Amino acid sequence: MAIKEKNILNRLYFVAGCMFVFALLVAFKLVNIQFVQGDQYRDLAEKRTIQNVDIPANRGNVYSADGSLLATSVPKYDIRIDAVTSSTKIFEKYVKLLSDELGKFHGKPSSYFQQKIRKARANKNRYLLLARNLGYTNYIKFRNFPLLELGGFKGGLIVEQSTKRVHPMGGIAQRTIGYERFDDQGNVTRPGIDGAFGEKYLRGTNGRRLKQKIGKGQWKPIGDYNQIEPQDGYDVYTTIDVNIQDIAHHALLAQLELYEADHGCVVVMDVSTGAIKAISNLGNNGKGLYYERLNYAVGESHEPGSTFKVMAFAAALEDKVIDTATIVDTKNGVKTFYGRKIRDSHRGGYGKISAARALEVSSNIGLATLIDDNYSKNPKKFIKRLKSWNLHKPLGVSIIGEGLPDIPEPGDKKWSKNALPSMAYGYNLELTPLQTLTFYNAIANNGEMVKPRFISEVKEFDKQIVAFDKVVMNSKICSEKTIRELQEILKNVVIRGTGEKLYSPNFSMAGKTGTAQTEYWMDDWNENKRYVSSFVGYFPVESPKYSCIVVIHKPSIEKGFYGADVSGPVFKTIAQKIYTDTPLIDEVETLEFTNAAVEKDFEAYYMMAQTYKTIMPDLKGLPAMDAVTLLENMGLKVKLVGSGKVTSQSVSRGTKVKKNQTVVLQLS
Amino acid sequence: MIIFLSTLAIFMIASSHSADRKVYEIARLSEEVKEYRSAFIDGRSILMNLKKESTIQKKLAYKGVFPSEEPPKKIKVITKE
Repeated sequence: MAIKEKNILNRLYFVAGCMFVFALLVAFKLVNIQFVQGDQYRDLAEKRTIQNVDIPANRGNVYSADGSLLATSVPKYDIRIDAVTSSTKIFEKYVKLLSDELGKFHGKPSSYFQQKIRKARANKNRYLLLARNLGYTNYIKFRNFPLLELGGFKGGLIVEQSTKRVHPMGGIAQRTIGYERFDDQGNVTRPGIDGAFGEKYLRGTNGRRLKQKIGKGQWKPIGDYNQIEPQDGYDVYTTIDVNIQDIAHHALLAQLELYEADHGCVVVMDVSTGAIKAISNLGNNGKGLYYERLNYAVGESHEPGSTFKVMAFAAALEDKVIDTATIVDTKNGVKTFYGRKIRDSHRGGYGKISAARALEVSSNIGLATLIDDNYSKNPKKFIKRLKSWNLHKPLGVSIIGEGLPDIPEPGDKKWSKNALPSMAYGYNLELTPLQTLTFYNAIANNGEMVKPRFISEVKEFDKQIVAFDKVVMNSKICSEKTIRELQEILKNVVIRGTGEKLYSPNFSMAGKTGTAQTEYWMDDWNENKRYVSSFVGYFPVESPKYSCIVVIHKPSIEKGFYGADVSGPVFKTIAQKIYTDTPLIDEVETLEFTNAAVEKDFEAYYMMAQTYKTIMPDLKGLPAMDAVTLLENMGLKVKLVGSGKVTSQSVSRGTKVKKNQTVVLQLS
Repeated sequence: MIIFLSTLAIFMIASSHSADRKVYEIARLSEEVKEYRSAFIDGRSILMNLKKESTIQKKLAYKGVFPSEEPPKKIKVITKE
């Protein structure tokens, strides 16, 4: 085709046309982006640079009664190292020194760490963990280690900070103080006080604020107010006394270790207010070490055994079917009830004894006979009495997961003819240790049953938000007479009953031992006997201040299993400590005492000092202190031989003396 | 007019930068507060453990110092008004 002007023009039109269409397309796209999809993209852009940031609220603290911190949130640090970033020269210079320090810190050989770091460098690991969850003091230590002190680029130090909930008291009362933990599925576990009050008081509410990105990973607030102000959590003050807690924890721990027991718990409660002063729950981790594993005192209901005899006895007393002098025949230590034998731990039995004595020596037969004789025709009366003391219902304490008690009644699956005599000595029913303690506390508190409580108040800094006062569950569980009789028996248990080994002439305590078989329904029980040893009571006897329960599960049989041997000593240690920590106060009217003998002595001395100025007095029988003063005032020098009172003097009486003359006094 | 506007612009830029600087400063300071708080809790926790009777008992056992078996006695003088 020949090249003509028209042809060229046509091609030009074509190209221009294409370009025009292209321009149209571009314009269309622009309009499309700007107006049709515009909102979506603008949103996206805003999200990149503007964010509604959560301002986390600070979780409140948990305090003890005296203001010691029990649980608080602190930053914790994870230390890692970028093993690649440092130059070969620096790395070789410091790696040995760093390994030495790490070895010292972790208690492992230095070579272990050197190998680990070198391996990481070879594998190009830029994120090697050196230590986890460090406190501030240790974090500072790490920051000053060789190599790490050079910082992020030269040394490869990587610090990650996170806020952790810690218990500054360590393992003490950990289960009761508790925590609130969220897992990945959003499930929450909430043991203890921290758990129970987390949502209501401690957690606070997060705030919100619009922020704009400004680089270096920082966000700048837009506007000078928060969309939602963060509300910090309140502080919770518990009733726990750090000193008593410390004593209880260590007394229990020592006994668990000695008896190689499975687990145990101690609770100390203030008699008049129901405030829990100490609560310790220790369980064996399978390797002979004990930790706060579960809140046994609150959560574990079990057959109480002999400690329940007091409840059964109180019911019979209160229903006036027996009195303390009622004679009961405990036979020769074995008695058959409805085809089942009940035995006493004392071989040969106690014969005919009074009801009160049966409780003191904790006779199973005695109690079973007393209850069966008087209630077998109308067991409901007995159950009704127990229910009037709320023993069939949980206490409703603030901690989540309270164990459910079980008091069977006629018609229940658990009920049989044997149920009644079994219940008389604490079997065929279940209670938690805290419930048992609450009942004994009521006896100590002259019949007023108070609910155990763990927290005293909730505060925001110094401002009180909520106060928790004592809660009376039953203002009088039984008559004054019954209370007095029970108090007397509990006192005698320690003086001459099953608890007599615990008796101390120095301080008084009252209580009841308990030794219950457990897991006896299992086949291997006869070869491998298991018991629950307990002791519950209060002290001092005259005006009870604290009540206390000690329960120890499955002590080693070879070492002992009776309540008085295993649990009693823990109780005694606590009672003794509290006794020695409370000063005895002697009150005196005045400090101006006149002591006739002292007055007389002084008169005689004064007379002598006035009379003898230059002549030697008779010093025989005078205390050395007086003799020296006397002679030195006369200007003499005194030499003493021995100590005590003057027996002879080197210058005899009546002799005229000169100044600075030396006098030797023999003393005895 | 132009001079006024450019001065205004410079002033605005300066103040926005100073605001940014303050944000960094606040971040740094709050980090520091956290560290001091952490140091405080750490120290307090150590002190609380040292103060415990059981710790003192252990530390003094080698010297033969034990808690008393007898409670301390206080003498209180009652003054009559």
